[in-house]
Amino acid sequence: MPNLKLSRREFLKASGASLFLAGLPVPGYTKDEPPGTISVIILEGGLDGLSAVPPFGDPDMMRLRSGVTPDNFLKLNSFFGLHPSLKNFSSLMAHNNALVVHATNFPYTKRSHFEGQNLIQGAGLSPFAEKTGWLGRSLDLANLGGRALALDLPLILRGNTDNDNFFPSNIIDSQSKASSSLLKALSMGHKNEESDIFKKLTKKPDWRIDRQPETLAKFAGQEMAKENGPLASVITVDRFDTHARQDIDTQGQLSEQLSIVDKIIASYREGLGEKAWNKSIILTLTEFGRTVLENGSTGTDHGYASAGLLAGGAIEKSGVITQWPGLKTKDQYEGRDLMSTIDYRSVCAACIEKTLGLDHDLIANKVFYTPKLPRIYNNLFS
Amino acid sequence: MNEQFRVSQKIGLMFRPGTAIPKDIKSWAITQLNAKSPALGISKSMPKSQVMPWPKSLQSDLKGRSDKLIRAAEVETIANRMENKTEAHKLINKSDFENYMGNNDHLKFNHRNIYGKDQVRLRFLTFWANHFTVAPVGDTTDQLVGSHIEDALLPNLNSSFSDMLYAAISHPGMLYYLDNAFSSGDKLNDNLGRELLELHTVSPTANYTENDIKNAAYVLSGWGYDTAKNKNYMGSFLQSKHRPGSKTVLGKTIQSGKEGLRQLTDSLANNSYAISFITKKLAEHFISENPSKSDINHIANAWKQSNGSLDQIHTAVIERAIDTKSPKFQWPMNWLFQVIRLSDATYIHGWDEIAGSCNHCNGNPKNDGSRKYPFMQNKEIFLELGQSFWHSRQPNGFSNNKESWISGEMFDRRIKFAEAIFNAGNPQFGANQIMDRIGAHQSTRKLVNSVGDTNEKNRFIALMCSPELMGLEYA
Repeated sequence: MPNLKLSRREFLKASGASLFLAGLPVPGYTKDEPPGTISVIILEGGLDGLSAVPPFGDPDMMRLRSGVTPDNFLKLNSFFGLHPSLKNFSSLMAHNNALVVHATNFPYTKRSHFEGQNLIQGAGLSPFAEKTGWLGRSLDLANLGGRALALDLPLILRGNTDNDNFFPSNIIDSQSKASSSLLKALSMGHKNEESDIFKKLTKKPDWRIDRQPETLAKFAGQEMAKENGPLASVITVDRFDTHARQDIDTQGQLSEQLSIVDKIIASYREGLGEKAWNKSIILTLTEFGRTVLENGSTGTDHGYASAGLLAGGAIEKSGVITQWPGLKTKDQYEGRDLMSTIDYRSVCAACIEKTLGLDHDLIANKVFYTPKLPRIYNNLFS
Repeated sequence: MNEQFRVSQKIGLMFRPGTAIPKDIKSWAITQLNAKSPALGISKSMPKSQVMPWPKSLQSDLKGRSDKLIRAAEVETIANRMENKTEAHKLINKSDFENYMGNNDHLKFNHRNIYGKDQVRLRFLTFWANHFTVAPVGDTTDQLVGSHIEDALLPNLNSSFSDMLYAAISHPGMLYYLDNAFSSGDKLNDNLGRELLELHTVSPTANYTENDIKNAAYVLSGWGYDTAKNKNYMGSFLQSKHRPGSKTVLGKTIQSGKEGLRQLTDSLANNSYAISFITKKLAEHFISENPSKSDINHIANAWKQSNGSLDQIHTAVIERAIDTKSPKFQWPMNWLFQVIRLSDATYIHGWDEIAGSCNHCNGNPKNDGSRKYPFMQNKEIFLELGQSFWHSRQPNGFSNNKESWISGEMFDRRIKFAEAIFNAGNPQFGANQIMDRIGAHQSTRKLVNSVGDTNEKNRFIALMCSPELMGLEYA
């Protein structure tokens, strides 16, 4: 494989990373203003939590993963480090505005991207059981509408009839906005959901921004900071399925993708401004972690537990929240994966509770359909 | 729509003006499966351009592509050693110009679908190109996506599923896209082994184990190309990277060596879970949003009785798609082709206009007002439609269900493309002529009339974005 260092690489990179962003409420529709805002960064492909937040204090770490562990990781504490691409996140950790939850996942162990992605967004009790998503259902329970910034509507946001979406287009030879009479006619001519969609297009704002992830994140932050602005948003970053050449140098695939995540978080903060930042939580979500042992192509295969990154001014104390399971074969799930010791649904539930002001039992019952879902709010936020 | 157009929307790409409309639509559709049509296209994007077969000089086979990739890699090695980066960039650009195949591939795919006389066959080709997704992850696979469609799938449309499966999996585009080229018997990478089971054949309903996945990956070990030497992108089997010994996948013993892969794909191709999984997918793509068990069983029976003959499987799909009157929502890319064909617009470049274009200018026409390239670049069209075979995407491909495609932004894109085709594509037929020709439903006429009698553009957009032309109602 040629080692591309010059211009062609730039062209490919521009077309390689896909991303999304989501969530705005309907003015005058909400009851009381919720306490905060929630943003989700979906890491598509399965984040290698052991590289993002390497447990260098674990005696087995380097023996099993020397080829995929970055040399110059940042030190978090005596046991955990942070991937060098996460410089901004590291700074937020230093200011008590970010934390990590480690050895965590949704309770899904079968290592399929597509079942896993469906489950972490739909949060059903089995893959493909749900047509709506946990964030959409939460917004619905909080009586909040939303507008997604994505070309298609991600499952995570479905479940709220007022959801709508937007993603900047670049179609030459067409106007930026169709006439309202045409949209009205199309709405009249269509039935059901399609009719509503054409109707809502009449209210589509004429936003003109570029599609870089950090631009979208800044824009989302600015919108969320406005009075009656959006209370939830979602961005999806792909290419975390690092089977090969994961991190062989600073241009490794994981380094590149984590840099994007780091920029997104920084751009959210910039867009939100201090006041809105102080009420915000941004959390990552991924379908699974990756194998403890690196594979033969300086990558890692599908695994179980990963790490979650949380940032935002609503966090007041940084740290790595974990019940570390260890990396010895006997401690691994099926002798190959990092064991999950924290149900990530509890992390999502705590973030919903903190930002949308919903009661934990309601979230457990109506959003995650798991009445006994452990409440870990106090572990994260106090 | 009248029956002929209803069928050609559901399982084809709509009859182009000037085409004879068959009386017996079912026989026609089945005959289409063996239609012999070269890739047709135009050299210049002028209205009423002559439609001709694609020039051979613009189409490279796998060997030609491999040679180009090797040349490009050699130039790059030289360029990366150069101290003068400006000169190095120039050298790379020149090499890209000479060796890059992607623009031709995107254009050829568009041309085939817009001008082809084998519309039903092309729809099945697109279905399989999505089932066996190969997406770019670097320059190599970008150049191999088109080859995967043309060299692995197209020649096997009339063979068996087993033949197509083997060709699709052993093609270098797939071997690179799902990392198999970087796997070996002692340093395994199980990505392709896993997706071969999960996505290409039996699906998770077969309850395979992690051990089955590992063994499938062992069978695949050695398939790739010699990544150490950059000598050959054609796809080959390297015994030295293969895991010796027999393997067991889903209870079937697979022999060691190169022949093992064919043994495995043959076994998977006739597995009842694979038949159930793929027949349902076919039914959801062609027949209705919620196909009946009877529809799915009809296709599955054809599969079993013919040992997976694609002609028989596709015939069964056609029969039920015609017999079932439910509408079927049309994918963005198929809808775009249908709009262009129905209106006889010229919305896509000719090959003379793209063969010399720089692949770094892959976005828009020159921004100096001269409009050197008259339309959007082909790859960008697909990106803006939200459905591109030529951009990064996940190996499960695009959804066959309408829920995934119904959103404000997706609908807005259709409005914009209908408008762009009207504005820039010089359509030869307006809304009234098209509605008369296809026998549009009265509700569609009502919708088009509701935007006024005089605004031809809005009438065109309203027609193309009507429930009938999108495949939502009355279709």
